[in-house]
Amino acid sequence: MNTFSQIWTIASIELRQRVRGVAWYVLLAVFVVIVLVVTVLTTLATSNTDQPGAVLYSIIVYFVLLLGTLVAPALSGTAINGDRENGTLATTQVTLVTTTQLVLGKLLAAWITALGFLVAALPFLIFALALGGASPDTAVVSILVLAVELGVVAAVGVGLSGLIRRPLFSVVTTYLVVAALSVGTLIAFGLGGFVGQERVTVTNEYIDWSVDYDESDPVTGLPEDPVCVTDTYEQPVPRFDRVWWTLAANPYVLLADAVPIHFDTYGNPKDVFGSITYGVRSSQSAPEIDTSYSECDGEYSPSVEPPSAREVIENSVPSWAVGLALHLALAVALILGAISRTHAPSRRLAAGSRIA
Amino acid sequence: MSSAPHHHLPDPDPAPAPSPAPADISVVALARSFGDVHAVRDVTLTARAGEVTGLVGPNGSGKTTLLLMLATLLVPDSGEIRIGGLDPVTQSAEVRRILGWMPDVLGAWPNLSVRRSLELTARLYGMDRRMAAARAEELTDLVDLVELIDRPTRVLSRGQKQRLSLARALVHDPRVLLLDEPASGLDPGARIALRVLLRRLAAEGRTVLVSSHVLAELDELADRSVFLEAGATVTDERIAAARRTARPWRIRSLDPTGLRAALVAAGVPDDAIGVDPQGLVAPVASDEAAAALLAELVKAGAPVTAFAPAVGDLEQTFLDLNGEAGR
Repeated sequence: MNTFSQIWTIASIELRQRVRGVAWYVLLAVFVVIVLVVTVLTTLATSNTDQPGAVLYSIIVYFVLLLGTLVAPALSGTAINGDRENGTLATTQVTLVTTTQLVLGKLLAAWITALGFLVAALPFLIFALALGGASPDTAVVSILVLAVELGVVAAVGVGLSGLIRRPLFSVVTTYLVVAALSVGTLIAFGLGGFVGQERVTVTNEYIDWSVDYDESDPVTGLPEDPVCVTDTYEQPVPRFDRVWWTLAANPYVLLADAVPIHFDTYGNPKDVFGSITYGVRSSQSAPEIDTSYSECDGEYSPSVEPPSAREVIENSVPSWAVGLALHLALAVALILGAISRTHAPSRRLAAGSRIA
Repeated sequence: MSSAPHHHLPDPDPAPAPSPAPADISVVALARSFGDVHAVRDVTLTARAGEVTGLVGPNGSGKTTLLLMLATLLVPDSGEIRIGGLDPVTQSAEVRRILGWMPDVLGAWPNLSVRRSLELTARLYGMDRRMAAARAEELTDLVDLVELIDRPTRVLSRGQKQRLSLARALVHDPRVLLLDEPASGLDPGARIALRVLLRRLAAEGRTVLVSSHVLAELDELADRSVFLEAGATVTDERIAAARRTARPWRIRSLDPTGLRAALVAAGVPDDAIGVDPQGLVAPVASDEAAAALLAELVKAGAPVTAFAPAVGDLEQTFLDLNGEAGR
C-alpha cells in the first residue's frame, strides 16, 4: 500500500507537471473535433446498412489507437531524461522513493494521459453503441486491448526516456518503435511475401473456336466434339502464408484479431475489425501451386465456391496472443532497463551532473 | 569600523581539542573517476554534529562529485563514506532518511506551486497528507517564501529558487545537511538570513556541510573548513604552512602620512606598504605580529580607526594554496 501511494505521488507530480496545461486540453479538443467529423461521416456513409453502429464503433476505436500512439510518445518519451535535464530527477531520488516506484509512477502517469483520449472518445463510442449493431463483447474486448496497447506505447516511451540520455532522441526512438510496429510490420509483410514468391504453373484448356463446328450442345452451346488447345504458362505468386506472422505484432491487426467477430447473414464480418481479421487470416493459407482450368472436359462443372469469411476465419490461427505477448515483453524489458539505468547510487555518471 | 573576524581554520600547531560530537560525515580515502577524468582522487574529511563545515576549493576540484557521493547518488570507485555510521551505497534508504541535499543545479517542477512542490516532496518522504501540508507551510515561512507559496515555481527568481531548494532539503528534518553553493544568487539580505539559519540548524545539533565559492561568506559561517584541490583534501600541514605566510592587513588612520611613518618606525619596510582607497596595506606575519603592530601604532600615537586583515582568512588560505600550487 505504501508502495502504491509512493507510485501515485510520483504519478500525480508527473500529471500536474508534464501533462496538465493548456496545450494538453487543446490537443484533446482537436482530437474530439476529429472524432466528431469521423462519426458524422461514417454515420452518413453507413446509414443504409443494417448495423451502422458496428462499423462506427470499430472506426472510433482505431482512431483512438492511431492518435494515442501518435501523441503518447511525445508525452512519455521525456519522462525520465527530461527530469534529468530540469534537475528534478536527483532531488526526487534522494527522497525515500525507490527507483522502481519512480519509474512505475511515471509509467502510470503516461498511461493515464494516453487513456485521456479514450475517455474523450467515450461519448462517441456510446453513440455508436446506441446506433445498434455493435456487439457488447466486441465493444468490451476492443476497449481492453486498446487500453493495453496505449499502456505498451507509454511503457516504451518511459523506458526509452530512462535508457537514452537526450530527450529528443528518446522521443524520436519511441516514434520509431511505434512506426516499426504499425507500419514496419506491414512493409515486412508485403516485402516478405514478394521476396519469397514462387512461380506457379497454370494450365488452361480451351476450345479452339477458329474451327467450324457442326453440332453443338443445345444446353451449354458448346460444340459436341470440340478441338481443344492446351496453354501452359507460369506466373509468380507471393507467399504471404510464410510471412503472415509479421503482422501479429502490428497493433491494428492485433486489436482486430483479438476481438470476437460477428458475421452478418451472408457470413461477412460486421465491422472493420472483422474485415481486417479476414484479410490477415486469408493470407495464412498457401496459394495453390498448380492450377488448371478446362473448357473441354465436357462437364459443365460449377466452379468451386470460394470459402466465406466465416470459414476462412474459423479455419485459421489467431495470432493476437503472440503479438500481445511480444508487446508486453518489449514494454517490460524497456521498463526494467530504465529502472536499472536510473538506479541511484549510480555507477555511471548521471547525466545532468557535471564532472565537478 | 570593521573588526577582525573570528578564526575558524583548524589550527594544527596546538593540537585541537577532540570534539565530543559524533562525526556524522566521515570520508576516508575517497576516489571517483569518470573515464580518465579523476574528479575525486583522495578525499578524507569528517564533519561533526553541531558544526558547520565548509568545503572550499576552486572550480573542478571535485566538490560537487564529492557531494553527489555523500548524497547517495554516485557510487565511489574506492574509499569509504559513513553518514551517521551508515554506508550510502549499501544502506541508501537509511541514509536518505537522515540526509538533506541541496544541489548546485536548481531544479524545481516549474508548473507546481511552491506549496505543492514541498507537500509532494514531503509525501515522497512518507509523510501523510496532513503532515505534508503543515510542513510545507512551516518551511515556506522558514525560508521566507510565504508570499509566493501559491505561485508556480517557474516564476521564482534565482534566489527564490535557491531558498525553495533549501526548504526542500529540510523537508524531512534531516540530521545531516549537504549544501552545494547555497549562497550563490542570493542578495545580501538573503545571505545573512541563510547564515543565521544555517548557524541555527547547526546549533540544534545538525551536521552541516557547505560548499561555497563565496569565501568571505564561509569565513563567517563555518566552524571549520576542508580544502579540496584537484580532487584531494589539502593536508593540515599545508594549510598551516599557508597560514604562516605574511598576509596583508588594512590599516586606516585619521592621519595617513603619520601612519606611514609610524609603520616604518614599527619595523615595516617602507616599500612593502601598499596604498588602497580605504587606507594602507601592510604585510603581517601572524595574529601575534598583528597584535604587536597595533600596540606599537597606538603607543606611537597614530589615530588608528581600522585595523583588519585585507582579505578573509579562508580567502587568504585559498589564495596561498593556489599560489603554492601554481609555483
